[in-house]
Amino acid sequence: MENPTEHAVEVYGQELRARIAWIIRLRWLAAAGVGVTVWLVPRAFGVQLEEGRLYLVTLGLAVYNAGLWSAKRWLPQVGRGFGQFVFANVQISVDLLFLTALLHLGGGVENPFVCYYVFHTVLASILLSRRATYVQVGLALLLFLAMVLGEAGGLLPHYHLAGYLETELYRDANYLTAVTVVIVTMLSFTAFMATTIMGRLREREAEIVTLSVSLGERARELQRAYDALRALERDKSEYMRRAAHDLRSPMSAVDLLLVVVAEGRAGEISEKSREMLARARRKIAQVLDLASDLLTLSRAREAAFEVNLRQVDLVEIMRKLEEDFRPRAESVPITLTIEADQSTVMVMGDAGALSELLENLVSNALKYTPAGGTVRVSLSQEQEEAVITVADSGIGIAADEVAHVFDEFYRGKNARESGKEGTGLGLSIVKAIVASHQGKINVTSEPGKGTNFRVVFPKFRAAVRSKVGT
Amino acid sequence: MTAPAKPTIMVVEDDLDMVEALRVLLEHAGYNVLAATEADTAFELAQREKPNLILLDIMMPSGTEGFHFVWRLRRDGSEAVRNIPIIVVSGVHQTFPFKLYPTESDSVYGPGEYLPVQGFLDKPIQPSTLLQEIERLLGKQETGSTG
Repeated sequence: MENPTEHAVEVYGQELRARIAWIIRLRWLAAAGVGVTVWLVPRAFGVQLEEGRLYLVTLGLAVYNAGLWSAKRWLPQVGRGFGQFVFANVQISVDLLFLTALLHLGGGVENPFVCYYVFHTVLASILLSRRATYVQVGLALLLFLAMVLGEAGGLLPHYHLAGYLETELYRDANYLTAVTVVIVTMLSFTAFMATTIMGRLREREAEIVTLSVSLGERARELQRAYDALRALERDKSEYMRRAAHDLRSPMSAVDLLLVVVAEGRAGEISEKSREMLARARRKIAQVLDLASDLLTLSRAREAAFEVNLRQVDLVEIMRKLEEDFRPRAESVPITLTIEADQSTVMVMGDAGALSELLENLVSNALKYTPAGGTVRVSLSQEQEEAVITVADSGIGIAADEVAHVFDEFYRGKNARESGKEGTGLGLSIVKAIVASHQGKINVTSEPGKGTNFRVVFPKFRAAVRSKVGT
Repeated sequence: MTAPAKPTIMVVEDDLDMVEALRVLLEHAGYNVLAATEADTAFELAQREKPNLILLDIMMPSGTEGFHFVWRLRRDGSEAVRNIPIIVVSGVHQTFPFKLYPTESDSVYGPGEYLPVQGFLDKPIQPSTLLQEIERLLGKQETGSTG
C-alpha cells in the first residue's frame, strides 16, 4: 500500500461502491415517481395511458433494483475496480432500456420526458470513466433512434397520448428531426461538461490521496523516531537505576561494617581510629547521596511517562517543609520564612515527588546562603496556577551559568568554590519533577545578592475533579 | 533480669559482608544470629530454628525473592513461625516506584496492599535505629504471647 496510485484506485473503488449505493437509492425514487405519475396523469389530466403495461415495466424496474440492492452486498469488496466497473456500466445500460421502454409505452417521441436521458448521462459521468460515459450516451441515442424510427416505420406500435396531443407527431419528419437534434446535442454537451467537471474533481481527489498518503508516511516516521527516543530514555533510566543500585548496595554494606567497628561493637578502638572511620563514612555518605539522587532522578524522569497523579495540597507540603528545615536554618542561623496566601492550594500531583522538589530547592537555598541571610518560600494562587517561589540572599549564580543549572552534574563556579558538597543532580531532579507535573520553572540570580526560583503548576480544577472523583 | 534465653534473629541477606556486619552488631547487642543467603534455605531454616525475628533483604539474587519469602512464610509456615515479626532492610523502594509501606500521605491504600511485615529500614542501616526497632518488636511479641 505504499504506492499512492494504488491508494487512489482503492479510494476510487470505495467511492464507486458508495455511489452505486446512492444510485440504487435514486432508482427507488425513480420507480416510485413513475408509479405515481402513471396513476396521476390519467386521473388528474384525463390523458389516456397504457397503465397496465406501464405498471408492469415499473414493477420490473423495482424488482431489478431490489436485485441490485441485494447483489451489491455480495459484490466482491476486494474486486479492485473491474467487477464494479462492469456492475456500474450494466446498471446504466439497463436503466436506459427501462427509460426507453417507459417512453415507448408512454407515447414515444411525443412524450415530453424524452429529455430524461440527460439524467442517465450525468449519472454515467459521475459513476464511469469519460470513455464509458460516451459509450453510454451512444447507447442512449441508439435506443432513442430505434424507438423513434421503429414507431415511425411501423416496426413498433405507437401508443398515442389521447387527451395530451390533438395531432400525432410521431411520423412528422420536421418534429422528429428537431427532437433528435435537441436530444443528441443535449446529451453530448451534458456528457462533455459533466465528464470534464468530474475529471477535475478526480484529479483533485488523487492529489489529496497522494498528499494524505505522504502525510501519513511522515507521521509514521515521526512516531517511529519518538518511540525510539522514548525507548532510549527508558533504557537510560534503567541503566541509571542499576548503576545506582549496584553502587548503593556495597556502599551500604561498607558503611555498616565501618559503623560497627567505629561504635566499638567489634571491640575497643582508639580515638584516632574512630576519627579515621568517621572520615571514611563521610566519603561513603557522598557516594550514597549520589546513588540516591540518581535513583530519584530516574524515577522522576520515568514519572513523566507514567504519571499517577492525585490531588495534593501544596500548603500541607509547605507545612512539613517548615518542620523539616526550621532546625537546620536556625543552626546557621538563616531567617527562614515559609508562607502561603491561602489555606489550601490543590494541584494534581504526586505528593512524594512534590515534597522532594521543594526539599531540593529549600535545601539548596539554605546550603548556599551564608549565616545571617534569608530564605523565603512563598506559595500563592493565581487564577489558573499555583506559584511557588524560593528566594534566598545567598551566593548567587553567574549570569553565564544560569542557563546550565538544570543540567545533570552541573555545579556553578560559586557553588564549587563554596566548599559545600553536592552531587549536581538536585536541580535536574527538580526539573524532571516539574516537567512530570506539566509545570514550569525559571530562575533569576545575581552573584552575591541571591537566587530566586519560581515554579508554576496548573491548578487543580473542578472540571478535572469530575473525571477523577469516584 | 533472670537470664532468659537469648532471642534468636535470623538474617536473610545475600551479601556476606553485610551478614558479617549484622552478625557482629547483633551478637554484640546480645542476640543469637542465624543467617541464610537464599529464600529457600531461609524458609527451611526458619521452620527448623523458629527464630524470634527475621531481618530480610528484599533484593536477593533473583530480584524479588524476598517478597516470595515473606508470602511463603506467612502462608505455608508452620504455626510457630507464621507470625514471626519481619523487618525488611532494603533500598528497594528507592529503586522501584512501588510502595512497600504506607506513609502519612498514603491513606488511600489499604493495609492489604502492603507487604505483611512489621518494620522497614532503609539502607544504609544505622545500628541504633536497627536495635531500637528490634527491641520494639521483640518487646511487643513477648507481651503479646503472654498467656
